Order: sequence, then C-alpha cells, then structure tokens
Amino acid sequence: MKLFEFESKRIFKAEKIPVPRGDVVSSSEEAKRRAASLGMPVILKAQVPAGRRAKGGGIRVAEHLEEVAEVAQDMLASRIAGFHVHRVLVEHYLPILRELYLGITIDDSKGKFVVLASSEGGTEIEQIAANAPQKIVSLKVDPLLEFEQYEARRVARQIGLTGDLMLKVSSVLWLLYQVFVKYDAAIAEINPLIITESRDVYAAGAVLSIDDDALDRHRDVIANTGETGERTQDDIEREAAEQGIAYVRLGGDIAVIGSGAGLAMATVDLIRDYGGAPANFLDTGGRITRDHVWNCLNIVMKNLKVAAILANMYGGINPMIEAAHGIVEFVREKRLQIPVVAKIRGNFEKEAWDILERAGIRVVKTTQTEDAARLVVELSKKGPR
Amino acid sequence: MTILADENTRVIVQGITGRIGAVQTKLMREYGTRIVAGVTPGKEGHSVEGIPVYDTVEDAMQKHSADASIVFVPAPSAKDATFEAIEAGIRLIVIVTERIPIHDALKIRSFAQKATATVIGPNTPGIISPGRVKIGIMPGNLFKAGNVGVVTRSATLGYEIAGNLTEAGIGQSTCVGIGGDRATGVTFVDILKLFQEDKETRAVVLVGEVGRTVEEEVAEYVKTGRFTKPIAAFIAGRSAPQEKRMGHAGAIIESGRGTAESKIKALREAGIAVANRPSQIAEVIKPILQ
Repeated sequence: MKLFEFESKRIFKAEKIPVPRGDVVSSSEEAKRRAASLGMPVILKAQVPAGRRAKGGGIRVAEHLEEVAEVAQDMLASRIAGFHVHRVLVEHYLPILRELYLGITIDDSKGKFVVLASSEGGTEIEQIAANAPQKIVSLKVDPLLEFEQYEARRVARQIGLTGDLMLKVSSVLWLLYQVFVKYDAAIAEINPLIITESRDVYAAGAVLSIDDDALDRHRDVIANTGETGERTQDDIEREAAEQGIAYVRLGGDIAVIGSGAGLAMATVDLIRDYGGAPANFLDTGGRITRDHVWNCLNIVMKNLKVAAILANMYGGINPMIEAAHGIVEFVREKRLQIPVVAKIRGNFEKEAWDILERAGIRVVKTTQTEDAARLVVELSKKGPR
Repeated sequence: MTILADENTRVIVQGITGRIGAVQTKLMREYGTRIVAGVTPGKEGHSVEGIPVYDTVEDAMQKHSADASIVFVPAPSAKDATFEAIEAGIRLIVIVTERIPIHDALKIRSFAQKATATVIGPNTPGIISPGRVKIGIMPGNLFKAGNVGVVTRSATLGYEIAGNLTEAGIGQSTCVGIGGDRATGVTFVDILKLFQEDKETRAVVLVGEVGRTVEEEVAEYVKTGRFTKPIAAFIAGRSAPQEKRMGHAGAIIESGRGTAESKIKALREAGIAVANRPSQIAEVIKPILQ
C-alpha cells in the first residue's frame, strides 16, 4: 500500500528524518490559514497516490496568500494522474542549494535489501539510472544483518559528500533504512533530499510503500490513513481490494476469474489471441470457498460491460464442489442471462461438473485454457443465452 | 531418479493440526509420501491420521529423523516455523503458506543459504515426482511419471501445463513450484542445476510470468553452456498492463527487465523454445523425446 506523501512525511518526522514544515489541508481557506502561519512563499503539493505530479500541475509554488487560495482551489477541483485531489500539502518553501536522491528497496534477484543514493535527485532520476548509472551508488544489505552507520557514511562519501553534509546525509540515509525495516516497506524513498543554502537537509519528497502482505503488522498506520479508500481510482478495483481480491479492469467485455495470477494472466492473453476482449483480470487466490467464488463473480459483474464470464480454476487446497456451488448460486440469485463458461479441474472435479451442468453452465473438462477461451469468445459474440 | 525427494524421503508436516494441514497430510499419504511426524506447538501428544504430533521440530527430528518438512503454518508465524526447521537440521523445506510478508521471505532465503538448506516457496504448490512422492498440495491426478522436468512460478498454470503433458501422453520426472511471490527460497536456475544432474530428466518445461527476473537469469545461465538439456518455456502476462509504479527505486533496480517481452526475447536469444500458447508446450516437447 502506497502511502500519501503527507502520511509518509508524518512517519519520517516521527522517526527523526527532517521534513519541511507544513500541513495537509482540504480547502482553500484552510490552505490560506496554514500558509499565513508558515510564512511566504509556500509550496503546494496535490496529494495523489501517483508519481510525476509536477507534470500534471500537482506541485506549485505560491508567492502570496491570494495565490495560495487560487492554487489550492484549482488543485482541489482537479484530477491528477487520474485521481481526484482531496487534499493538498502546504509546505514552507525552502531555498534549494542542491538536490540528492536516497532510496531503499528490495532486489528480488539477489534476495537482498538495496540502498540507493545519487548526487543528482529530482524527477529525472530514472533517466540518470539509464544513461549515467555510475552516478547511482548502490549497496546491498543482507536482510538478516543491520545496515551500519559506517556503511551509510561510505555511501554518502561515494556520492561526493564530505564534512558536515556527509554526516547529515548519511544520518538521514541510516534513518530511512530504519523506517524501511520498521514499516515492512517495499520502497522508502526521499526524492529530492534537498540541501538548503544554510546547509540543512530536508526530505522534500517522500515515498513510503508498505508491503500489502505485512499490513496486519501496521494496523496503527492504516487506522490513521483510511486504508484503500482514495488509493485506487477505479471503483470496482477499490471494492475488490477491500475484499482482498486482486482485480484489474481491462476495458473489454469478457470477465475472467482465475485461481492463481499466472493462470488468470494466461487466460487473459488467450482470450485476446482468439479475438475477444477481456473485461478484467481477477485472481481468486488459494481460498476457493463457495462464498469467495460468489464474491468474485459479484465483483466482475459490477462492470456493466460484461457480456460473458470465464471461470478458470484448479483446486489444490479446496474441493472444487465449493467453487461449483458458488457459481451456481450466483447465477441463480442474480438471474444471470449472459453466458458463463467454467473450466474446472482438481479435487472432486466430477461432482463439480455435475453441479454446474445441471444448472446449465457450460463446462470445459480438459486442461486446455485454449478450449475455454475459444468457447467464451464465441459465446460472447452470440449474446445472452 | 528424481530431484529433491523420492519415496524414501521422510517428511514432517508443520501445522499438521490445522484444517488444510490435516487434509493435505491425508492426501500426501494416500499418494505414497512417507509422513513421519507432525508439529504444532501446544499439541504434543495428539495425532492426525495416526501420525504423532510434537511441540517442536527438534523433538520430532530426534524421534523420527526427517529429511524434509512441509509448512502449512499461517503467514504471521511461517518465518518462525521455517527457521525452526532449518535450525533442527532439516535440509528441504516446502512452504505452502501464501501472503508471507516479503521481509520475512527474504530473511528465510538468507538463512537457508547460510545453512545450505533448500527452501521451496513460499506460496508454492510444492514438489511432485509422479507415482513416487508428493510433498505439496497439487491434485495428483493431473500428473504422470515420465522424463520431463517441470518448473513453474504459478501453481495453477503449472497444473495446467503438466496436465496438458499428461493428456498428450508425456510424463514428468519431477514438477517443482518455486513459488508465486517476489521473494522465494530457490529460483529457476537452482532447479535447472538439479535437472541437469538428473538422468531421468530429458527435457525441461519452464512456466514463467511477468515480474521478477528469474526467467532472464535462466537465459543467462543457459548461455554459459552449463545446461545442456532442451527447454520449452511459456510466459504468462503478454497483455498485462505495466505494473503500477510506486517510486523510482523499483525501476532503477529492474532497468527494463521483468516484462513478458523482455523474458521471451531473452529466452529465445538463449536458444530456448518459447510457446505462444500453453498447449503448444506438449507439441514442442514430443519430438524431443522421440
């Protein structure tokens, strides 16, 4: 779960990482009041869970209070990167001497945490990584060991810092690593880390993303933030996320339900190959119970474009009778008229096929998703059954 | 020969008294796996399917000297259970549990490497050598004994492709799910090294998908010439939308790898046959075996 910038900064501040003075507001009046107490000029930052805000007008400087009100008003009425802006972060504007980049993330292929730093921060960091990789210093850390302060100092030296700045930046980097570990982060990033004319350092841009599988350990954070609410732009994706269902809308009219991400993706690929247009990707995960399958169908049918459904499932942990009952109950309760194809294999498959066929659902009994994909594409073109 | 385990492998089930642990213990036993003990802290003295349950892996090991463990322990305690198994001297651990926090999964991988233990998973269907042993949750009826090794990230897409092979009359030596998560104990290359040494395995099927770089690593490994058996691969997610970006750090690490395109290109450049559809895998493999 990616936190909003203001949430990330609250956590950074609590962990002693210096952040610019400021506060989050949700009206232009409030913005003006906050700006007046901070002192002019201020910087206004639209709070949306997406990067590259500056290009969409999401980061602006205001010189006087009237301008603060106007900019805040504009931002709160706009959508940036597809997200409605509900909050604006108003911060004291700091005179910038230099911008650096600091980040901690996971290197899957090495199985390590990785500390990244660059003497050039800002939005161009990915171009720098691509074109001048020598400007990015990286250090891998064994997840069973600590990231020591001397290692942070070495990284700071390697990006060309000396003296007091080396000490200040290495201290921030070390603290950022502590945040990364404490919050089970997928990414903790400061971009830019600014050095002011008075040689102070501040985390001007902050990104903190918590591993979704570790959210239970961080209920306190979520309690303060309101979970998935504003983090997803799509209503169905949001509702699915709230039920713990992995759903991605894709724009077509054939709903896909797969037991497992790889299988669901392959199903989406094949429907496309056979000339169909998938409406979504949905992964049921491992818990194929009657209720869960019912809920998955309910989610995909919220998309009014859906003209056919393909449920593609293998049962390892649960008997497939459960899945069959879930499908049949949904179809009956909702008096579903569109074609439904079920390809089901695994424990108790024959019993599951019986239940489905008696309810008039088309069953594919092979292990070839191709068969099911071809059939659903054909049926979707014929219209309601 | 098989890789990782065979019908003589002595297996402990961690989390044996849970609903899934108990059912899967029964199914593995029916398949022929030698389940020698179970572990659930606080349940020593109980038994499941006639199998004795212990509080600690250490005690179970002392009484039954197991070679392998399969973990059904819920996600919040799965790291603890795995560390316990490694410390008790078990050298093959299969973690079925899904949704384990990634920091925990990375610690498991690191600890396993230091202890030279092999960890399969997390979020894996496990290992099956058809007709001989199953340390996992896969439906046994989809598999059949033979000479093709299968290694997969996705559990169910792995079932599909193994099932396709079986329906086409092509049996499997061993099928391994490395796990569907970003961080797993072993990678594709680790399993390929075992298949290279296994005389019964004449060809390998590799089932990949978007994300991670384990397929690209296979391409690099094969190019070194150290893997000499034919490989047929399928990659799911050709039409997946680009993953939603979180920050810059991920992009810096991946540097353009991880997409279906990048994987397919890398594998083909290494001379590996990449099928466009799952069922083509059987068509590619068949002439190789004849």
